[in-house]
Amino acid sequence: MMNTITLIARKEGGELLNSGRGLAWLLALSVIMSVLSLLLVSNTELSLLDNAQVVYMVMGTVTALGALLAVVLGSDAVAGERERGSLMPLLLAPVTPSQIVFGKMGGQVAGWFVMYLLSLPYVWAVGSSGQNLAQAVAYLALFGTPVVLGFGFLGIALSASLRSVRSALFTSLITLMLLASPLLLGPSLRQSSIGKLFDAVNPFSAAVNTFDSVVIDSQPLSMQMSRLAITLFWLVLTAVFAIRSVRKMEI
Amino acid sequence: MKNTVAILLLSLSILFLGNARASDSLGISLAPEQTNPAAPQMGDWIKFHSVIMNSGNQAAHGVVAWISLVQVDPGHEQPVDLEDWSAHKAVTQSILEPGQQVNVEWPMRLIQAGAYRVVISAVDRETGHVMTSPFVDFQVRRKPVVESGRILPVALGVPMLVLGVMAWRRYSRRTA
Repeated sequence: MMNTITLIARKEGGELLNSGRGLAWLLALSVIMSVLSLLLVSNTELSLLDNAQVVYMVMGTVTALGALLAVVLGSDAVAGERERGSLMPLLLAPVTPSQIVFGKMGGQVAGWFVMYLLSLPYVWAVGSSGQNLAQAVAYLALFGTPVVLGFGFLGIALSASLRSVRSALFTSLITLMLLASPLLLGPSLRQSSIGKLFDAVNPFSAAVNTFDSVVIDSQPLSMQMSRLAITLFWLVLTAVFAIRSVRKMEI
Repeated sequence: MKNTVAILLLSLSILFLGNARASDSLGISLAPEQTNPAAPQMGDWIKFHSVIMNSGNQAAHGVVAWISLVQVDPGHEQPVDLEDWSAHKAVTQSILEPGQQVNVEWPMRLIQAGAYRVVISAVDRETGHVMTSPFVDFQVRRKPVVESGRILPVALGVPMLVLGVMAWRRYSRRTA
């Protein structure tokens, strides 16, 4: 069973690194991060406080871009196979739906791993002269991983249940835009009762608030446990949704 | 006649204003600490020292003194929000007897480069206007916090690396 899952995961992850389309996505993501970094350098008003702010912004952007990549990969995972006519041969092969979904999830892990590696030079470049660089790298992995993979799993689930890449992508992107809105809204705009409630249950908010808390305010991990629980709950919830959707899917 | 009355009224109002100024009950001094860096830069901590003294002959009640910072760079004149600069923004004194004085330290962390002017203001319950210290001017040198020398190679290098992988992949496919 493990071999089949690994094979599918390798194929999925390999598509990102070996296909022209996957490499073009990575190029686009790296260009976005380069432009953001250059804009930050050219800002002459940056202050000491802004250095931590810059690291925080880069971490949030990496998480958002990782989630975007995960959503695109996830939306294509099952519906893409269906549209390309390769789903039927896959289901006729001696693999179970569970193996397919775990393999697709493995592909998501590989995609995020590449994206994370790609982002490290940027985090280092903007954060090396400031505070809490090591924490930034560690917390991006700790909190970024469940959030990003959760979006990827959501994409897989929608891809299996909506049967069309376009519908799955659209629904996933709407969800991503909604949950990633804390990146655009300042903290003061989220101080209303609705904003606080949204922050309390939103896994993206949990990650972004943790980045703020750790990098800017130098607060310890013990203060982030409830936020970590929210991101892990999101990961489990979307994983269950993906597994159930793929198991229930019809040709 | 009208002109005479107007001049008289104007003189009286000037005299009244002069008396109001003269009735400042609090004397406030302000000076930078001796230990402050001579040419401070962003990130440095500096301190100001002020003495608030009741120079009047009546007790001053409910004294509140606070620090204000103004950026005075030409074209960038603006009040500075001290939120990130200092946690010690004001002091209160319930009563200040005649001749009594309070020494106050005003520490601050220099967040942004520029030319600044700092002043201490105070009010008490009885006096009808704000009393201020003399200004102290200081300059904060810029300190590069996001190093462009590091970002440029990364910003150009990572996309070039991905482009290199794409080119290598295309080349190896052609030669295969």
